[in-house]
Amino acid sequence: MTADTAPPDAAGTARQPPPQRPQHLRRSAMTVAPIAGLVVVFGIWEFYVRVFNISPLTLPTPWSILVHLRHEPGFYWRHAQVTLLEAAWGYGLALGASLIVATFMAHSRFVERASMPVIVLLQSTPVAVLAPVFLIWFGFGHWPKVLVAAVFCYIPFTINEFTGLRSVDPGAYELLRSVSASRTEIFWKLRFPQSLPYLFSAGRLCVGLALVGAVIGEMFGGSTEGLGNTARVGQVRLLIDQLWGSIFVLALIGVIGNLLLAAVETRVLRWHSSQDLPGGSAATL
Amino acid sequence: MTRRSRAAYDVAVPAPSPGGGRTAAPASPASARSIGAPVSIRGVSKWFRTGSSFLHALDEIDVEIRPGEFVSLIGPSGCGKSTLLRVVGGLLPYELGTVTVDGNSPAQARDTKQIGFAPQTPSLLGWRTVRRNVTLLAEVNRRGAIHPPLGESEILELLETVGLGDFLDRLPKELSGGMQQRVSLVRCFALGAPVLLMDEPFSALDEITRNEMRYLLLDLWERTGHTVVFVTHSIPEAVILSDRVLVMATKPGRVVHSETIGLPRPRSAQMEDDERYLAHMRSVRRALGEVSAR
Ligand SMILES: Nc1ncnc2c1ncn2[C@@H]1O[C@H](COP(=O)(O)OP(=O)(O)O)[C@@H](O)[C@H]1O
Ligand SMILES: [Mg+2]
Repeated sequence: MTADTAPPDAAGTARQPPPQRPQHLRRSAMTVAPIAGLVVVFGIWEFYVRVFNISPLTLPTPWSILVHLRHEPGFYWRHAQVTLLEAAWGYGLALGASLIVATFMAHSRFVERASMPVIVLLQSTPVAVLAPVFLIWFGFGHWPKVLVAAVFCYIPFTINEFTGLRSVDPGAYELLRSVSASRTEIFWKLRFPQSLPYLFSAGRLCVGLALVGAVIGEMFGGSTEGLGNTARVGQVRLLIDQLWGSIFVLALIGVIGNLLLAAVETRVLRWHSSQDLPGGSAATL
Repeated sequence: MTRRSRAAYDVAVPAPSPGGGRTAAPASPASARSIGAPVSIRGVSKWFRTGSSFLHALDEIDVEIRPGEFVSLIGPSGCGKSTLLRVVGGLLPYELGTVTVDGNSPAQARDTKQIGFAPQTPSLLGWRTVRRNVTLLAEVNRRGAIHPPLGESEILELLETVGLGDFLDRLPKELSGGMQQRVSLVRCFALGAPVLLMDEPFSALDEITRNEMRYLLLDLWERTGHTVVFVTHSIPEAVILSDRVLVMATKPGRVVHSETIGLPRPRSAQMEDDERYLAHMRSVRRALGEVSAR
């Protein structure tokens, strides 16, 4: 830095920050950016189908899919509810189970060592093939779908929560030990809060995975409801609009799920540096 | 250690970034609470098991610490300073000798919350505000405590003293490294324990902040009269803070020199020009030099 030799009154103006674009302008640009991205992608799609005269059986235009959705809102709403509920139950079950298992794993080397092979096994198996098994066990109701969704979410939840519970700050841990804090106290005051960023990051991944699980469960047949079923029927009977309509609604559910979770995360993890990114966690979607 | 297969979903959680330090507010009048307790370390030896062999970490350490005394441990790294501190704090077992804290074993002292600990890093809980970080230790193991923790007004006074009066409801990530370390110090004092163990609490700070922290620590300590065992790498820090400086040597860890500091209290920055201060500095440096030369 060079020495400031300007007289006091002049210094006042000289020290002003360099001119910047107004804050609100930059902000609205940031809000528009994701929409602009979508518009570009769908625009290219629409343009491609029209210009190259692609058969609607191969690929309908996004616009025609939206028009179709507008004509059948009740149909999609009914099936979306089914899939949503299955996915949500699967998600919740996996979350609950992984919280319990990860807590035991984090507190006992024995449980950790005993669990690891099972986890590796589950992780390495394409769990989608379990869907027919669940179908045989639980029939044609909602349970097989819920379970497939749960199996999809279980591993990421457990591994992340376990990692989070184990990655305690050694100084803070020693500090609590220096006053003989109990395990329970250390869990609630240190381990669990410190694991939340890990849990949320798994939570976001699992929004998509739970939907995939529920849809796969529905697609394996026997089901008369849900967006997985409507998509499959659409494919078999060449109802291309219905196939693409199901895909769009599923995508929409995924996006809304992720946005909701991001909103919760922004509040709960306000203390964490991951939330200091411009626009908060929603920006990293 | 077994390798854990967790890479696929592993998440990097970035740590809050430390910043520069700040100047502290002047001290407010003392609320005299003299609660120091004696610490006695007699013939303490400790070995670590490393694979198939043993590492002789401490060799017959003999130190008697008076109630309210400020003792510094200084020595080359790896000489067992942290180990000795952990032994006194009941965080590590030891093989030979006896340690008592106010007549109790370290484990009893820990269970009855007689020991305040300041780790090398501030180790603040990121989700708690400054105020709630300071009261953390009072919240756990409530039944064990035999000394009451500081009350709310006393804690506020301490936070004011270290210049954090305007940051009570801030989160750690909003504080500089020096401010975080001040919270850590207040947290240590807020427990109300008679013996405080500090493991290089200022080592991560820049030189200017570090210099300020010395006098802040003295200020907090002089109004309460805790017994303090303070680990440091810095000779000036050890001399200006302490009643006694113990120089340790490595392999095995042992005390080779004890320097009683004759400077009057309260200490101030002016004493850094005092001939006695300089003499103590030389003497400690010489002892350390002999240790390192070997
Ligand atoms: N948990 C441990 N297991 C094995 N060796 C240890 C352990 N902790 C410390 N040591 C060893 O004991 C010696 C003293 O360590 P430490 O007390 O941390 O030194 P200092 O704090 O003086 O730098 C070092 O050689 C270190 O490697
Ligand atoms: Mg050390």
